[in-house]
Amino acid sequence: MSDARPAVEQVQAAFTQAITEVCAAHGIPMLRVKKQDLPTVAHFLHTNPGFRGSLSLLWAVDHRPREARYELCYLFTLAEHKDWLLLVTDLHGDEREFPSITPHLHAAKWYEREIRDLFGLIPVGHPDLRRLVRHEHWPKGSYPLKKDFPWDRVLGRVQGEYAFRKIHGEGIFEVPVGPIHAGIIEPGHFRFSVAGEPIMQLEVRHFWKHRGVEKLFEQQQLNEAVPLSERVSGDTSVGHSLAYCQAVETLQGVEVSPRARYLRTLFLELERLHNHIGDVGAICNDTAYALAHAHCGRMKEQLMQLNDRLTGSRFLRGVNCVGGVALDLSGLQLAQVEVELNALEQDFSAIEKIVFANASLTERLENTGILTESIAWDHAVIGVVGRASGIDRDLRRDRPFAAYDMLQPKVAFYRYGDVRARMRVRLDEIHESIRLIREVRRSLPLGRLVSQPMHQPQPGAWALSAVEGWRGEILYVVMAGDAGLIHRCKVRDPSFVNWPAIQWAALGNIVPDFPLINKSFNLSYAGNDL
Amino acid sequence: MFRILKKSLQTGVVTGQHPAGAAPSEPLSQDAIEKAKPFRRSLTIREVDTGSCNACEMEMNALANPVYDVERFGVHIAASPRHADALVVTGPVTVNMERALKAVYKATADPKIVIALGDCAIHCGMFKGSYAVTGPVDRHIPVDVRISGCPPRPAEILAVLEGLRQEPATSKT
Repeated sequence: MSDARPAVEQVQAAFTQAITEVCAAHGIPMLRVKKQDLPTVAHFLHTNPGFRGSLSLLWAVDHRPREARYELCYLFTLAEHKDWLLLVTDLHGDEREFPSITPHLHAAKWYEREIRDLFGLIPVGHPDLRRLVRHEHWPKGSYPLKKDFPWDRVLGRVQGEYAFRKIHGEGIFEVPVGPIHAGIIEPGHFRFSVAGEPIMQLEVRHFWKHRGVEKLFEQQQLNEAVPLSERVSGDTSVGHSLAYCQAVETLQGVEVSPRARYLRTLFLELERLHNHIGDVGAICNDTAYALAHAHCGRMKEQLMQLNDRLTGSRFLRGVNCVGGVALDLSGLQLAQVEVELNALEQDFSAIEKIVFANASLTERLENTGILTESIAWDHAVIGVVGRASGIDRDLRRDRPFAAYDMLQPKVAFYRYGDVRARMRVRLDEIHESIRLIREVRRSLPLGRLVSQPMHQPQPGAWALSAVEGWRGEILYVVMAGDAGLIHRCKVRDPSFVNWPAIQWAALGNIVPDFPLINKSFNLSYAGNDL
Repeated sequence: MFRILKKSLQTGVVTGQHPAGAAPSEPLSQDAIEKAKPFRRSLTIREVDTGSCNACEMEMNALANPVYDVERFGVHIAASPRHADALVVTGPVTVNMERALKAVYKATADPKIVIALGDCAIHCGMFKGSYAVTGPVDRHIPVDVRISGCPPRPAEILAVLEGLRQEPATSKT
C-alpha cells in the first residue's frame, strides 16, 4: 500500500471547480465532486497514465430519514499508487437523475443499472437501461433499497418481457439456456446467438436468485449479522463473514488480536483450498476427464471433512465473529492439519502430473475462452480470472488484511487469459495456500480470541473492508444506523464484476466449450444476485 | 498409463469413508415411503435451486464424489425434469424463480416426489419475510420429504435417500 496524497492533490489541481470537499474516511482519501462533473473526473482517473484507476465499487446510500439525500460513492483503485480513491456526489431532495459514467468506463455498467433498479435513481446517458435485478414482472416504482420501501412488502406481478439484444445475419440463431441448468448448479440465463457452432454473441441474464440480502442486513444489529453474511454465497462463507466483520471492527475501533488474525488467515486459506481443488476437478470433468474429477472430488471431500472436524461446519461457518474468531485450534489440531495437508499436497501433485501428461485434455484448455488483458482491464476484472489475464492484483499483497502482512503471499500471475491460465492460477494458489497454512502454524502467536469494541459507532458512520476471497476481491461497505442497527450494507462479491466479462471470453468459441469456460470462471450466482 | 494405475492402486477404495451425519430432525412419513415405492431401486433426481446460497448445491454435488458415490444406490442426477422421478429443491423460492419452479414441477412426469433440501427450502431460513422471497417450497408445490440443515451434510442426505428405499410394509419410522 502506498500513499494516494499526491494523487489527490493532482486531481484537485486539475479540477478545482468540480471538487467541493477533500477529506479522508478511515484512511481512504475522499473527494466530493459536483454531480455534473463526475464523468469527466472519472474518465480522467481511468485514462490518465499517472493514475490508471479502475472502478472497484459503486454504491448508493439513502440517507433518509435523517436527511433527504442520496449519496453516490465511486471507489477507484489506482494501479499506479496501489491505493484507493473515493469520489462522492450527492443528490438532494427530489433529485433522481445523475450522469452516467458508463460511456467512459465499461466497469460501471452493471453498478448503475443496479442502482437504478434498487434506488430508482436514473443514470442519464447510460447506453442500456433495461432492468437488471428487478425482472420485468416487478411492479413499477418498487425500489427495495429506498428507505420508505418496507423490507417485507409483498410484490405484485405485472406483465413484461426482457428484450434480449438481437444480432441478425444469415444462419444466425439463438440458443436459450436456463434459468435451470442441466447440472447441479445455480440458476441463471445465457442467451447465445450462434452461427453454426461459434458463439457470435452471449448475453448473460441473471438475478434469478435475488433474495434481498442488502435489505435484510438493514433489519439486523451490527453485531448479529455475521450468519447472514455467511449465507450470501455459501462457498465463500469465510470470505464474506471476514469482510463483514472487518468492516464492523473498523466502525467500532476494535483491535483484533494477532492470534485471531492468524486463525482468520488459516480459515480463509482452507476455504480457498477446497474450492480451488474442486474447481480443478470440475474443469477436468468438463473436458470429459472423469479420472481427475474423481481424484479431486475425493481430495475436496477430505478437506471438507477436515473443516468439519476442526470447526463443526464443512463450510467453516461460525468461525468469524465481530472482534475476532469464535473458536480456537489447539497445537495438536494444527499439527494434524499440517500432516494432512502435507499428504494432500503430494497426492495433488501426482494428479497434476497425470493431468498435464494428457494431451487430449490440455488441448481443450489452451486457447479456449481467452479473456484479453485489455478487455479484463476495461471491465475491471479481478481475482483468479484477472490474474490469469494479466491483471496483477491480489489484496493479500496489495492491501494486507488479517495476518497477510506477516506472511508475504506469492501472487500467481499469467497473461494468456485462457482456460489453461485460469487453471494454472488455481494450481499455483493451491500450493501457496498450503505453504501459508504451514507458515501460520509455525508463527501462530498466543493471545485472546475476541477483542472488545472501543466505542459504538455514530449513526451515519461507515467503513469499507476488502478481503481477497478464493474468487477475488470481496468488498463490504457497512454504515451504522440508529440503535445499533445497520443503515446500509453494500455487498460486492467478485462475481458481480466478472460476470459481464464472461460474455467477451465466450466470443468465437463453440457452444460445447462454454461449460468449460464457465467452469474456469466459476462465478457465484448467489453472490451476484444478492 | 503406469502413473495412473499407480495412483489408483495407492488410493484404493475411498467409498464410504465418511463420518455418520446427525439423525434427521423429521422422520420420513409413511406416505413419502409409499410414494417413493416405484423408485426403490432407481431414483432419478433433478435438482432445482430457487435461491439458495449454493452450499446445498455443493453438498448435492458431493453426493456424486467417490466418497459418497450415490450412484451405487441407483440414484442418478438427470439433466432434465422430463427424465426425473424426484425434484430436489433448495433455497427459499425467490420472486424471480417462482415461475420457473412451477414450470419444472409441471414438466416432471408423474408419479414424482418432491424433496425440500435445507432450511431455506423448508421454512425460508434467514430469508424469511424478505420482499424478494415468496417461499417456502411447499407454498408453491407439494413437498413429500424434508431434509433440514444449513446445509445438511451429504451423509445426512444419503441417509434420507436410503430411507426412501425401504419396503413400505416392514418399515418402522
